Amino acid sequence: MKQNAIRRYTGVRNRGINPQGFHVSQIKFYILLLPLSVVMILPIIFIFSSAFKPPDELFAYPPQFFVVNPTLKNFTDLFSKLSNSGIPVSRYLFNSIVITLATMAASILVSSAAAYSLSKKRFKLKRALFAINNLALMFVPIAVTIPRFLVIERLSLLNTFWVHVLPVLAMPVGLFLIKQFIDGIPDEVIEAAQIDGASDWWIYWRIILPMIRPAIATIGILTFQAAWNNAEISTLYVNDESLRTLAFYLSTLTTTATGANAVAGQGVAAAAALIMFLPNLIIFIFLQRQVMSTMSHSGLK
Amino acid sequence: MTGRGSFRPEISLRVREALHGYGFILIWVLGFALFTALPLAQTFHYSVNQVTVTAASINLSFVEWANYTRALFTDPNFVELLVGYTIETLVSVPIVLIFAMIIAMFLNLKFRLKGVFRVIFFLPIVITSGPVIKELTAQGAASAPGIASLPAVVEFLEQLPRALRTPVEYLLTSFILILWFSGVQILIYLSSLQKVDRSIYEAAAIDGASSWEIFWKIILPSLSTATVVNAVYTIVTLSHFSENKVIRYIYDQTYDVQGGIGYASALAFIYFGVMIILLGIVYLFLMQWAKRKA
Repeated sequence: MKQNAIRRYTGVRNRGINPQGFHVSQIKFYILLLPLSVVMILPIIFIFSSAFKPPDELFAYPPQFFVVNPTLKNFTDLFSKLSNSGIPVSRYLFNSIVITLATMAASILVSSAAAYSLSKKRFKLKRALFAINNLALMFVPIAVTIPRFLVIERLSLLNTFWVHVLPVLAMPVGLFLIKQFIDGIPDEVIEAAQIDGASDWWIYWRIILPMIRPAIATIGILTFQAAWNNAEISTLYVNDESLRTLAFYLSTLTTTATGANAVAGQGVAAAAALIMFLPNLIIFIFLQRQVMSTMSHSGLK
Repeated sequence: MTGRGSFRPEISLRVREALHGYGFILIWVLGFALFTALPLAQTFHYSVNQVTVTAASINLSFVEWANYTRALFTDPNFVELLVGYTIETLVSVPIVLIFAMIIAMFLNLKFRLKGVFRVIFFLPIVITSGPVIKELTAQGAASAPGIASLPAVVEFLEQLPRALRTPVEYLLTSFILILWFSGVQILIYLSSLQKVDRSIYEAAAIDGASSWEIFWKIILPSLSTATVVNAVYTIVTLSHFSENKVIRYIYDQTYDVQGGIGYASALAFIYFGVMIILLGIVYLFLMQWAKRKA
């Protein structure tokens, strides 16, 4: 009796091989994982705390981690700049949202379809295409900006909405990761579906996509970040101010604030970084459940 | 319309499967060819030319391999940056892999709050790309410069042979940064750990295998494919990291009066070559190991 009471009190539910709740033997996991998880969370705390730092703390040496006297001045500075801009900020925000969503959806569809084909279909160029993709994976994207500009110009995509979406559709990293996940799906599953008369499209849509949900969510997070934080395309391929993105706009705010106003610029940059970062965190919180939950019962053994 | 009826049976199953395969990959191939392959070919063309940009046009004059020889033999910075990058990558990759593997094995166990920990260790995926890491490196928070100047550490570093000093110092100062690169890798390991049937562990345990033996004989071999994938992914993310010094240098050279597009293209191709060699080494090494395990 007494022992049971103690167990209940300490949260120890049973002493079996597979404890359901907390067990004393699990303490070692926490001892190892807790400090490491603190390391993992630090950057996020940092980005929050530096957005609220007054200038003297931002420039303190050695740099301080936590904010001592939090202030909203960085944000009021940022918003006063926003209200002075020629084009309403909502325009940039709208562009960013539409472009990001379009890029995410399109690139997930394109890479997963290509990965399905490369992983489960038999055709001649298959190995060559995958090898080429892996080579392209290695190539530094910035080195192709200028030739890419010429291609985009020739396709007369300059200054259009499409220039934000099309060039990033064929993302080598996405194809690479998704293909690895599809490789893990046993061929038998697909053969069974084929015998039952499923078409290729049906197999792709109803079997492959649900089974690789963790991979899709991962790629979703990666593409979201790439698209949302992309200021480069707006700088290089778009002249029309009303087609540019929020990332571009915020980056101009913080770079033009140099010179005489460098000190205030740092504060505004920190506030802008937080505002740009928040959607990343939100999308992560939404999609991580997909990544984590389906991984444990994806039916692949 | 009779044509359709008479043609259809002539397409063999194999051809049809190939056609479907091409169909699924078509859009990707188009996008890839237009926005990656074509610009790549163009970049290579630039790299063997002296490129001068005027307001009206881009002028090329063929210089053979002059840009490459200049990068490798005359440029005072580039080779040094490349060597630094190679050392950093060779140090980081095993650490990321081992760290990710250990964490994944922990997260695969059953204990309370395991879900929370999984999320936390996946969190770096939103840190290493985008504004966060830029802000962090700008503030000097990504490295721990204090560590390298501690007297004990300085003394320790001086004891080491020269060749070892740089990697060890890099390891000490950017250990945290390396850990932040392991989000996706942990996920990949975790997903392949979950494919291992738990009854295999039980069977091994009943046969008297210690957990140490289970790790070397069962877990590690089943992670060999995931390790290759992770190694590739780690090298790629490290090399494309926006704060990477080589990339910054190439970027600066593109708009530099001394450098120019042709020179920067040559630099990019050399960097590309170094990356492929690195990847080849890691790949061969891991494949050898995976084969021996199998």
